[in-house]
Amino acid sequence: MTITTGPVSGEILDILDDPAPSRPAAGNTPDRSTLPGALALYARWEKGQWSVGDVRVERDRETWAALRPFAERELGDALTELEVGEVCVTRTLSALVDHAPTDDDRIYLCTQLADEGRHVRFFQEYLTTAAGIELDSALDEASAYGQLFEPQLVAATSRVRESGGDRGAWYEALVGYHLITEGVLAAAALRTTRVLAQRYGLHALHEGLGNVARDESRHLTYGLMAARRGVDDGEHRELIARCYLSGAELAARVMVNPHKKAITPVMTAALHARARQLTAQWQVGLDRAVRQLRLIGLPGLRDDVERSWSAAQRRALAEYRERWDTEHPVVLAA
Amino acid sequence: MPEDQQAERVRELVGAMSPLGARTVTSSDRVVDDLGYDSVAILELALALEVEFDLQAIAEDQAVDLLTVGDIEQLVGQLARKPA
Repeated sequence: MTITTGPVSGEILDILDDPAPSRPAAGNTPDRSTLPGALALYARWEKGQWSVGDVRVERDRETWAALRPFAERELGDALTELEVGEVCVTRTLSALVDHAPTDDDRIYLCTQLADEGRHVRFFQEYLTTAAGIELDSALDEASAYGQLFEPQLVAATSRVRESGGDRGAWYEALVGYHLITEGVLAAAALRTTRVLAQRYGLHALHEGLGNVARDESRHLTYGLMAARRGVDDGEHRELIARCYLSGAELAARVMVNPHKKAITPVMTAALHARARQLTAQWQVGLDRAVRQLRLIGLPGLRDDVERSWSAAQRRALAEYRERWDTEHPVVLAA
Repeated sequence: MPEDQQAERVRELVGAMSPLGARTVTSSDRVVDDLGYDSVAILELALALEVEFDLQAIAEDQAVDLLTVGDIEQLVGQLARKPA
């Protein structure tokens, strides 16, 4: 038995859930035309507006207060990670907007910046109003994304600014931002958290996360389209491949999160359940990292990504043992 | 805590945390088939039992399958810290 990590109620949350776009049109080459452009994504944004106020997060307050400790910790940790990630992207995305390759890209990216602001507001409202969690620097310190990935994203977007919009630096930031942060980490976290929200009857959370996931779907689609453009131009293919590999390694480490002591039940059956649950979450991340490759025109990178991911995971598990002087629950249960 | 009281408290917790809703359970009730426990519910129950009985880890070869409520009672009996 594991937590279901697929789309809730069979809905398609993003382009990776839809088998059609990733199906090769001829031979092994995916059809680039299946990815909408910046103009089409802008049009989708106009039609997909939602409001944090309409979600009425306060309706979850009583249900949250009655959560058992395990559920409270799992959901609290997941929401904290999502909030820290969203705050980080609102601070860094403007470098990609300022130096976008075309006006259509820039206008689309402006809509994304507005989305990210709305997501921050949603997660902060939910954490403070429904969950009663205080927003302070302790959240940043406890966040795997904040500790491990944010410095890399800040450095990448700084290079975009400092270089005056060097296209290679722009693609490097795009890969870290759209494909790894949004396409792998946020997508995996949103799925798992939405499943838990549904399980525990947190209706406002489930609705809000669905809205966020739809926005993220547009963001990811833009990232796939833009990265594909960079791959196809030939000049940035190797750079994008290299950034993708290093991003995937970092994502694997974030998902293990050696900085935080994991829940490790002493009862064997529960320990195995926990290990299966974590392994399933990690697998969602890896699956997404692999499935994106075809859409960005780098299907041949699959084996490298799988190897890099596994190696990074093993290093993170060793780091966990070193830090906590005990094995990670996934290792204990193996 | 005497063993019979401990077993009774285990049954109370298992019944209270059943995903099918709080209910009275017996030692022969099956955790998954009769009480609807899945992996998340088993985790929740295990952590609640750890807090309630201050459970210690056991070696893998001492582990038993948790098929029935009685299996959990037996396991808690093995794992609960005995007063010095």
